[in-house]
Amino acid sequence: MSSPQIELRGVEVHFPGGVQALRGVDLSVQRGEFVAIVGLSGAGKSTLLRTVNRLVEPTAGSVWFEGEDLTAAPPARLLEVRAQIGMIFQTFNLVKRSSVLRNVLAGRVGRLSTWRALLGWFPRRDLEIVHGALLKLDIQDKAFVRADVLSGGQQQRVGIARALAQEPKVILADEPVASLDPPTSHVVMRDLRRINQEGITVLINLHFIDLAREYAHRVVGLRDGQVVYDGPAGEVDDATFEQIYGRALKSDDFRGLDAEG
Amino acid sequence: MAGLVEPGRWKLWAGVGLFAVVFIWSARGVEASLFRFIEGLPLLARIVVLMLVPDWSWAGRSLLGMVVSVQVALLGTTIGMLLAFPLAFLASRNISPHAASSYLNKQVLNLIRTFPEIILAVFFVAAYGPGALAGMMAIGLHSTGSLGKLYAEVVETIDPGPLEALRAAGANRAKVFWYAVMPQVLPEFLALSLYRFEINARAATVLGLVGAGGIGTIMVQALQFRRWEIVGMALMVIIVVVTLIDTASSALRRRLV
Repeated sequence: MSSPQIELRGVEVHFPGGVQALRGVDLSVQRGEFVAIVGLSGAGKSTLLRTVNRLVEPTAGSVWFEGEDLTAAPPARLLEVRAQIGMIFQTFNLVKRSSVLRNVLAGRVGRLSTWRALLGWFPRRDLEIVHGALLKLDIQDKAFVRADVLSGGQQQRVGIARALAQEPKVILADEPVASLDPPTSHVVMRDLRRINQEGITVLINLHFIDLAREYAHRVVGLRDGQVVYDGPAGEVDDATFEQIYGRALKSDDFRGLDAEG
Repeated sequence: MAGLVEPGRWKLWAGVGLFAVVFIWSARGVEASLFRFIEGLPLLARIVVLMLVPDWSWAGRSLLGMVVSVQVALLGTTIGMLLAFPLAFLASRNISPHAASSYLNKQVLNLIRTFPEIILAVFFVAAYGPGALAGMMAIGLHSTGSLGKLYAEVVETIDPGPLEALRAAGANRAKVFWYAVMPQVLPEFLALSLYRFEINARAATVLGLVGAGGIGTIMVQALQFRRWEIVGMALMVIIVVVTLIDTASSALRRRLV
């Protein structure tokens, strides 16, 4: 087996005030995988995802990316690695009053020198990459529209385009469909599947069981800051989820059927 | 249903009673009386009538004075914007590099705002001599305090989401500031500054009364000689120009936010 692309070794996160979000998490992800992290809210999913790019600093343990210990990386190197890891969010995290184009361009600034970024002087290639990302998400006709006039689904696609503009090796998705309706959720999940099929590793937090089963290769169950399940998505049944959640399943654990089949 | 009385109802009546006492106490303090009010009415009416027939030969000079007042307001507001900008970020709880810096800079902004423009103008006239320069400095300093506080409030209400997104994409502090903070705050800053400019245009007309230049200088001289027809002319120019500025500025502000 080849060396993992992402590896968490005994990662613990204590927040000030005594809250412990992660209790010794070990996880390795191979290049090209589509991994769903499932668990109840408060189980530590968001924290886990954010330790991968060190938006949250592990209190103990180490995080490895392509054979490099990120927890030991100096600040400048950390920024270089972050630029290779795209991230999308439940609330999209767009600058609402900026245009779609400016939001997607923000995905390029990580690799730009600071003075060029401040001048807004993007190389021609950057603009081509951004254009390609807009095309891929089918929002090229919205390029000059303010982000806040778009629907939720369209805003999330802008978020994905911003991540793609980074030409990332990995995409971290933190509950990307939690604020969307069922049909739109499936549209966004299919976008992510397509991106994954092009070779980008996807690590996604989900609390919808059916979406995890339908789109992911592998399911990692998190409860109370610990990995309590790790296996192929095909082998996960309702009993497994009840074990991960520690309770009987409810209707809102499911996103619902895809209207487009 | 005797038991169905809202608890704390007595607090309302106690408040009304307290206000009545303070009101009467204040009226005695300013020696306000209906008699004195009626006594002064005829003279007031004469002054108003005199002002209503302005001396048009002073129209040109009044307008020139008003132009200087507007210049004072414009420069003063700009100085305020430039000084308030860094102070606001240092004073904001979320962007400030340190909690102590936030507290300290908030206190500095509060302190600046305690001084009314007219008092600041008296100081600057004493130090730099009479003229519009003193007025500009007075307005600039006061605007620093008031804009700084308002800017800081804008900074504290920005959405942290885009900041996290930029950090996740490998942006350093400068890039996060430029791509996630600035686009959120800049339109609000400009709208607040325009509003401040409207206020300052009014304030600048008054500052001349203490020697800080502009149309107030004409007014104070005319008042000394009881030349109400000149005062009337100056007031008319002030009203027209201030109204024009308000209209233009609020139209601009609507487009910004």
